[in-house]
Amino acid sequence: MSDGLVKILDGNTFVVSDSRGDIEASLTDPTGLFSFDTRFLSQWVLTVNGKRLTPLSTDDLQYFETRFFLVPGTGTVYVDSKLSVIRRRAVGNGFREELQILNHDEKPVDLTVRIDAGSDFADLFEVKDALKKKGTYTTRVTDGRLVLGYQRETFKRATDISATAPARVDKQGLTFKTRIEPQGEWSTNLDVVTAVLGTGEKHERPKFARPRGRQNMENNLKRWLDQAPTLECDWDSLRRTYMRSLVDLAALRFSPALAGYRSLPAAGLPWFMTMFGRDSILTSLQALPYTSELAATTLQALGDWQGTRVDDFRDEDPGRILHEMRYGELPAFEERPHSPYYGSADATPLYIVLLDEYERWTGDRRLVHDLEYEARAALNWIDEYADLMGNGYISYQRRNEKTGLENQCWKDSWDSISYRDGRLAGFPRATCELQGYAYDAKIRAARLAREVWKDPEFASELEKQAADLKRRFNRDFWIADREYFALALDSDGEQVDVLSSNIGHLLWSGIVEKSKAKAVARHLLGPRLFSGWGVRTLAEGEGRYNPIGYHVGTVWPFDNSFIAWGLRRYGFKEEAARIAAGILAAADYFDGRLPEAFGGYERSLTRYPVQYPTACSPQAWSTGAPLLLLRTMLGLEPVGDLLVVEPALPVGIGHVALLDIPGRWGRVDAFGRGRESPNEKQPLRPSHEPVPV
Amino acid sequence: MSDATAEFFGSLTQRGHVPMLEKAKGTVRFELVDGKRTDRWLLVVDKGDLAVSRRNAGADCTLRTDKALFDRIVDGEVNAAAAVLRGAVTIDGDMELLVQLQKLFPGPPPRRRRSRNGAGGRRRA
Repeated sequence: MSDGLVKILDGNTFVVSDSRGDIEASLTDPTGLFSFDTRFLSQWVLTVNGKRLTPLSTDDLQYFETRFFLVPGTGTVYVDSKLSVIRRRAVGNGFREELQILNHDEKPVDLTVRIDAGSDFADLFEVKDALKKKGTYTTRVTDGRLVLGYQRETFKRATDISATAPARVDKQGLTFKTRIEPQGEWSTNLDVVTAVLGTGEKHERPKFARPRGRQNMENNLKRWLDQAPTLECDWDSLRRTYMRSLVDLAALRFSPALAGYRSLPAAGLPWFMTMFGRDSILTSLQALPYTSELAATTLQALGDWQGTRVDDFRDEDPGRILHEMRYGELPAFEERPHSPYYGSADATPLYIVLLDEYERWTGDRRLVHDLEYEARAALNWIDEYADLMGNGYISYQRRNEKTGLENQCWKDSWDSISYRDGRLAGFPRATCELQGYAYDAKIRAARLAREVWKDPEFASELEKQAADLKRRFNRDFWIADREYFALALDSDGEQVDVLSSNIGHLLWSGIVEKSKAKAVARHLLGPRLFSGWGVRTLAEGEGRYNPIGYHVGTVWPFDNSFIAWGLRRYGFKEEAARIAAGILAAADYFDGRLPEAFGGYERSLTRYPVQYPTACSPQAWSTGAPLLLLRTMLGLEPVGDLLVVEPALPVGIGHVALLDIPGRWGRVDAFGRGRESPNEKQPLRPSHEPVPV
Repeated sequence: MSDATAEFFGSLTQRGHVPMLEKAKGTVRFELVDGKRTDRWLLVVDKGDLAVSRRNAGADCTLRTDKALFDRIVDGEVNAAAAVLRGAVTIDGDMELLVQLQKLFPGPPPRRRRSRNGAGGRRRA
C-alpha cells in the first residue's frame, strides 16, 4: 500500500500495522487495533530472542486477513536466516494472530518469543486531534491472560489478550520459551478480544470470547461475489477495477451497532468506518444495479435515526437525516456531537432520492410503505427547517459553532465555497446542488405518493412545488453572460459565481431547463473543468483554483460518476462516455482502487493521475464510482418492470456484457458494443496495457 | 418536588398513538435505580400505540439507569444515545427497540440553546 501500512478490517473493527505486523502508535499516529472508534491496542510488537523482525513479504489474503513473512534481525544481512516467522492475522471481534516459526536448520534452536502489548484507548477523534485522556488505566494478569482496561466514570473498555501455547504473562506482554527441533516448527494463536463493557460488568471475560471465524468470513465474501453480476469485456483493466470495487465494497460493509446484522456502506478506511448519511446514501445509489441490500439497510438505519427534536449541539431538526454517527469516548461524554450529528444539508433530500431509486430497481413497495412517515418527515424538513433564508432554497449554517461542520454539503472543506475573485461566501450558504436534490426529491416523492402511498393530492402538491422550484432556480442561479449555474447563493441572495463541478449534479437531479443543458455540458467537458481524466471540482482560472486543493481543483471519481449519470439523463451520451473513460483509465493506475481524489493537472501534462495525499483508502463512494460509470455506459434504466439498456461505450472499448443484473425483473443481461471508429484509434488503455485482439 | 420521570410516562399515556413508532413492536422495561429503591415502568409499544404500566413483567428490552439521570434524559438535558455509549444507561435485549424509543425523548430545553445568531428565517409548521 502506498503509505507502507497494512490495513485489515471487519465492520468497524480494523487493524493498521507496519509491514512487519507490528503496532507502535503514538497519540497522533494512526496505527493500532480499532473498534467502535476506540483504539484497543496501541502497542503490539513481536521479538524473537530480543530482536525485531524484518519483513520479506506481506500477503493481503482478504480484506480481513493478512499474512506477514518475516525473518529475525534487522538490516540487510539476515543473521538468523535459518528461521522463518509467519504471522497470519484475521480481524473479527478483535483479531486472531496465528504465529508460526519454522526452523530450517539441522540443529535444534532455543527461542524466546515475546509480544509486547499495550493500549492507550484513544478515541479516533483524539488520534486525529492529539487530545489528552481523562480516565484511568488498569492492567491485570488473570488466568494466563493479559487484560488491559480503561475507565472514565461509567465508560469502560477492555482488551483481553491470550495465547493457545503456554506463555508467561506479565503486565507488558507475553513470553514464550520454546525449543524447535531441526526442520521443526512451533506455533501459537494469539487472541485479542475487544470489549465494550456496561455498568454492571466487571473487567472480566468480555461477552464475545472469541474472534469470529475466518471460514465464516470467507464464505460471506464468496457469497457476496457470487450474487453480483458478472462483467465480461475486452478491457482487462475494467474487469480488474470491477472486481476490486466489489471486494472493497464488501470490506466497507458495516453493521451499525443498534441495527441488527444488516449492513450498509461505511464511508472509508480507516477514519470513516461508520454510518454517514451522505456517503452511505450515494454509495448505495451507485451500487443499486449490483446489490440492493446496501440501499435497504441504509434507508432503514438512517430512518431509525432520523432527527425528531431541535438540538443545536447536534444540529438536529425533526425530519433531518444524520450526517455521522460515532461510538467513542468523546461523543459518549457529549464533548463531540456525533451521537449522532445531523449537520448535513444534502442527506435529507438524497434520502428520498434513494428511496425512489431503490423501489424502481427492486419493486420493494413494502419498504416504501414502511418508510412513508420518514419520507414525509424528510420532505417537511426541506420546507420547514432547511430554508434558513426564507427564500425557498435549502441553505445551511451550523448552530453548533464549536464542533459542528461549517460546510454541510459534500465539499466540506473551509475554502470550498468562494467567488471568482477568491473571497469566501458568508453564511447561510445555499449551494446549487442542494436545490437540485430538493427538486429531484419532490419529483420522486410525487411518484411514490401517487403509486405507493395512494395520495394523489400530495403528489400534485409536490409536483407543483417542484415546478416552481425549477422555475425560480433557473432564474436565480443562472449566470446568463457565462452560461452556467452559480455555485451558491450567499446570505444576501447574491450569486457565488465560480464555475464548479456542482453543475454536473444539477443535470443528475433534472432541475436544469432543457435550453440550458447544452451550455452546462459544454462547460463540464470544456478545458477549464475537464482535465482529461475527469471534471475538476473547481474550474481552472478561478481565484482559489489549485490542482491539488481538496475541493478547489482536484478530480473526485465519485463526483464524476454522478456527473456522467447527469449527462446521460440529458442525452449527452458521448460526453458521459468520455468521463467514464477518463476515470476508468485513471483507476488502472491505482490497481483498480480509485482514490478519494486525484490532482486536477491536465492529463497531457502529467500523463498519470497524481493521487491526492489522503489517509482514507478504500473510500466507499470512490469504490462505487466504477459501478455507476458502468451503469452509465450501458445506459441501464429501470422502466416499469423492465430494465432498459441503451449502451454508449467510450471509444476504445469493443464490447461490454454485464450478466445477471438483479432487480424487479429477476435477472437480466445487458450487452454493449463499441462504435466503429477506425480513424480514432486513440487508446483508452494506458500504454502498458496490452491491447486485446 | 416534581417527578420528571412520572410526568414523562404520564405524557406517553396521553399521547396514546405515536406515528413515528409505527414500525416498533415490543415491550420495554425501565429499571430506574433510586438509592436502595428501583422504580419500574413497563412500556408496551404496538405499531405506534403506547401503553404504560408499573407491572413487573418480562420485556424484549430492559433499560437500566439511575433515576436522577433518567429524569434529566426525559427533560432533554442529557442525550440518551450518548448516555448509552458511556455506559451510564445499560440496555439488555432488543437494541433496535431502543433506537425507536429514543425518539420519544425531547431535545434540550430552549433556555439551554444558543441564539441563532441572526440566521433567522426558519419557518415553523
